[in-house]
Amino acid sequence: MEATTPKPLLELRGVSMAFGGLAVIDNLDLVVNEHEIVSVIGPNGAGKTTLFNLITGLYRPEAGEILLGGDNLVGLAPHTITNRGIARTFQTLRLFLNMSVIENVMAAQYGHTKVDVVRSMLRTPGWRREEKQIRARAEEKLSFFGQRLMGYRWDQPAYSLSYANRRRLEIARAMATQPRILLLDEPAAGMNPVETHEITDLISQLRDEGGYTILVIEHDMHVVEGISDRVVALDHGVKIAEGSFEQVATDPRVVEAYLGTKATATK
Amino acid sequence: MSETPEHPETPEAPPPAETPDAQTSRIGVDSWVAESEARRSRTPAALLSRGAARTPDPLKLLVFVAFAVSLPFWTSSGDLFIFGTLTLISAALALGLNVVVGFAGLLDLGYVAYAGVGAYTYASLSSPRWHLHWPALATIPIAMAAAGLVGLLLGISSRRLLGDYYAIVTLFFAQAFASFTNVTNPGDITGGPNGLPNVDPITFFGHKLASYNQQYYLILAIVVILAGATYLANMSRTGRAWRAQRDDPLAAQAMSIPVNRVKILAAVMGAAIAGLCGTIFAATYTAAVSTDYSVPFLILIYATVILGGIGSIAGVLLGAAIINCTLQFLAPQNDHPEVKRWLFYGTIILLVAMLKPVWRSLLVLVATIGFGFAVHALAVAYASHKWTSGVPSSGGSWIAHWAIIPNTDSFTGLNHGNFNNIVYIGLVVMVVITASLKGWWRMLALVPTLYLTVLAWENLLAASGGITAYLLFGVMLIALMAKRPQGLFGEARVEIV
Amino acid sequence: MHLPLFTIWSSIHSLGWHGAFELLRGGVVLGALYALVALGYSLVYGILKLLNFAHGDVFMVGAFMGYGVLSVLSGHLGTVPLIIVMFVVAMLGTGGLGVAIERFAYRPLRNAPRIAPLISALGVAFFLESSVQLLTNSAHYQYSNYPVFFSLIEPAFSFHIEGVLEPVSIVSLIVVGSSIALMFALLFLVNRTRLGKAMRATAFDREAAAMMGINTDRVISAAFFIGSALAGAAGVMYGLQYSDISYLVGFAFGLKAFTAAVVGGIGSIEGAMLGGLLVGLVEVFAGGYAGGQWVDVAVFGLLIAFLLVRPTGILGKHAIQKV
Repeated sequence: MEATTPKPLLELRGVSMAFGGLAVIDNLDLVVNEHEIVSVIGPNGAGKTTLFNLITGLYRPEAGEILLGGDNLVGLAPHTITNRGIARTFQTLRLFLNMSVIENVMAAQYGHTKVDVVRSMLRTPGWRREEKQIRARAEEKLSFFGQRLMGYRWDQPAYSLSYANRRRLEIARAMATQPRILLLDEPAAGMNPVETHEITDLISQLRDEGGYTILVIEHDMHVVEGISDRVVALDHGVKIAEGSFEQVATDPRVVEAYLGTKATATK
Repeated sequence: MSETPEHPETPEAPPPAETPDAQTSRIGVDSWVAESEARRSRTPAALLSRGAARTPDPLKLLVFVAFAVSLPFWTSSGDLFIFGTLTLISAALALGLNVVVGFAGLLDLGYVAYAGVGAYTYASLSSPRWHLHWPALATIPIAMAAAGLVGLLLGISSRRLLGDYYAIVTLFFAQAFASFTNVTNPGDITGGPNGLPNVDPITFFGHKLASYNQQYYLILAIVVILAGATYLANMSRTGRAWRAQRDDPLAAQAMSIPVNRVKILAAVMGAAIAGLCGTIFAATYTAAVSTDYSVPFLILIYATVILGGIGSIAGVLLGAAIINCTLQFLAPQNDHPEVKRWLFYGTIILLVAMLKPVWRSLLVLVATIGFGFAVHALAVAYASHKWTSGVPSSGGSWIAHWAIIPNTDSFTGLNHGNFNNIVYIGLVVMVVITASLKGWWRMLALVPTLYLTVLAWENLLAASGGITAYLLFGVMLIALMAKRPQGLFGEARVEIV
Repeated sequence: MHLPLFTIWSSIHSLGWHGAFELLRGGVVLGALYALVALGYSLVYGILKLLNFAHGDVFMVGAFMGYGVLSVLSGHLGTVPLIIVMFVVAMLGTGGLGVAIERFAYRPLRNAPRIAPLISALGVAFFLESSVQLLTNSAHYQYSNYPVFFSLIEPAFSFHIEGVLEPVSIVSLIVVGSSIALMFALLFLVNRTRLGKAMRATAFDREAAAMMGINTDRVISAAFFIGSALAGAAGVMYGLQYSDISYLVGFAFGLKAFTAAVVGGIGSIEGAMLGGLLVGLVEVFAGGYAGGQWVDVAVFGLLIAFLLVRPTGILGKHAIQKV
């Protein structure tokens, strides 16, 4: 990320959010440039998932602006924000469990397709064309994960998938909304070391081959180290450090946030 | 803000392992074990649903249509109306409800009121009430639009709210609609308790469809169209959005689905289908009457959708046949009393036969027969003759040698009504006791419970058909939800709570 | 439809202060009954997030249990002991019924999809209604067949309004007084006792409460017992006040009581009281001024208006306790 001047894609300016008087995000500024992978780290309760919920419109910030390519997103409905080009995965997997694997990915293309229910019932040529397109795109997204989600798995219900495959399917589903920026909420949580390694490669691949900009929350520091162009550390809703992985990992405030002050440090 | 500082290398504990099969919380039973158990299960319901799952959908529809088309050729016109036409009307209504409850997962309890809106709209435009006799091709779309509009308004008024509020708003709407048409009746627009009589039959291009056969085929055509249309709607972009938001509304929003809009779309579509059915209903009965669109009818349609399997179109059609035929066989004016009796005893024996292993069910059956003769002998020996000299209300006097049926003809000092009430309350208590016991004790309790069931049937239930049917539907809803929420043909759903 | 209520309204010809007082009197009494039934909805909804459609029919069963006691013991007991026995039997009976309903219709569905217990509740409502219809042969029963009814409609005291003597009957004092007493007893129970603490914990987070050693099944059973017993008491009072009962009285009454719970702020005890009063007044005033045929439509309008303007109800948002 050096040669060209970075172009900001997602920008947060002075965003604040409080629950019952308790500030969860406090006056946060954050920039994600195009084709960049930015990791957000911080101890539990630092406000990382809240940050995602704010960006995707599930919460409305009390102050500040959230800009995507220069357009303010504050106040838009979640599905509109997704249509503008932001897609996310969930830390606590939220697949459409009773739908098949491929239907999960097809359902996520709702915002970019048009054929209404009447034409669907009449099976017009327009419906046929669009349905073919939806399916092709779903297959394309699923093929991103090698053989993991291919073949006979397409028609299996999502609840029959393994944990790691559910995480993969969530990413495929997010890709199907045709986002410019992907928000991944702890993509490696609950995975074994081999799978963690795989997901690290995958995230880089998503940027390099898929062309996505990526904002990722991750606890596994090996993953963070492996993928990040830039790391942002949050604590109590405040940005306490920003920079390369080495810079942030050695920042005394970050160390303090994770390990506590001397009095409480046990390690 | 006093959270425990955590080492950066410690990954957050993964969320607790989900239990995909919400119904079974047995240890070690995950979705795979449950599925393979379901595959090996040999209960009639399981066999039926497996067979249904293996049959391709168009073939199922073809079988249904072939059977339905042949029906008028081998039934009397009275039976055709009662068992054919009425089944098809409730099937059509249930297909619409299936869109709302099955596909979109909305609990719409005002559903029959939309049918009422359709019926009253049709009756206003095609009856002597306002001296309007518009053709059906004009009034049916208007009635559908009116019902859809009401569905839209109700959907909007509770759109931001929890699903439960939608249920209560729609249920209250059904009540308010019944009250409005029945007693409010401003300017006599709804005709009050008498409704709007002398509604025109449906006419297409000048052809009146007034005979039983014509009506039957018209409604059959509507059912087939609705089954196809709702199936195609479900297998499309909109259908996927419905099912996605039913599984997880929050994730659906984040995946670009406008959740409220697709929910309201489902509600409006359901309401419009109900409106269509309402017009047919009014034309078939040649009247729009308030009490036809009240809560008992709602239970009937819900029982239809749930027995067949929420979300399954084949299930809805089968459910409509079972529920409507049950209702009609139980009806007091039914002229097949012997069928009613055999259906009852057949069902009882079938239920007992579901006990495993087989010798247990045989044992229970033999014990019940013995128990009955013993009780009857005691009553003959120690009680007045009047206690045992009655005639079973379902006919078939042989049963009076086994079941206690007091004589109602002569006043005997024995209050017959109280006897019935005691039997009924005793039955309910015994069912509750049987359900709470286990193993041998349950088998033991089953014997007097079965005998009481027969007593209640012969003395009380068989004679009060309509009430018995609704009683049965109520119990069926409770039992199905507890034991087999997916109904006969539905797929077991997984929900993470 | 509430036939006895019609007679109240049709008797009002001259409105003005005199008529308004009569409406107020009727509204407060009816509101107290709605409030009692609304408490049961609120209690169960607060703990299980379950809309117990069967609650209105539990109320109806309570009215019949009271009638049963009345028909057996009338003439054998004095007025006061008779009424006490009616209340005790109806409250214990409906309480037990509520526990049984929870045990068989709702407990197996604790982890089922959200829609399942609602459908089951619908089934229970229909089972109760049809059972009572079967047992009573669809007939209407009158509390006024027994002398107790008449000794209770004697005026307790009277007001002079526009020169007319307006009596307040003993029964309306009993209804309003015992409703208020029961509500305060419930408030005390929820806020001051161990069981109440367990209820609040279960309402807040059932799993966490279970992990803290609270027997949540028993807490839920207790909530059903209490809520149903309150409905049973309301059923007896309904009979004493309006006399006419049938298997149909529960359903519409339950819907309006639920409206009261929503309007007051579901989950809040004080809210249920306020909501009940409001619904009772709206119903009676709508009946008095617009005509009895408008009551259902008016109360439905109130529900819709609240859902559009203030879906949390009067006290919903700010209620600190979450019963």
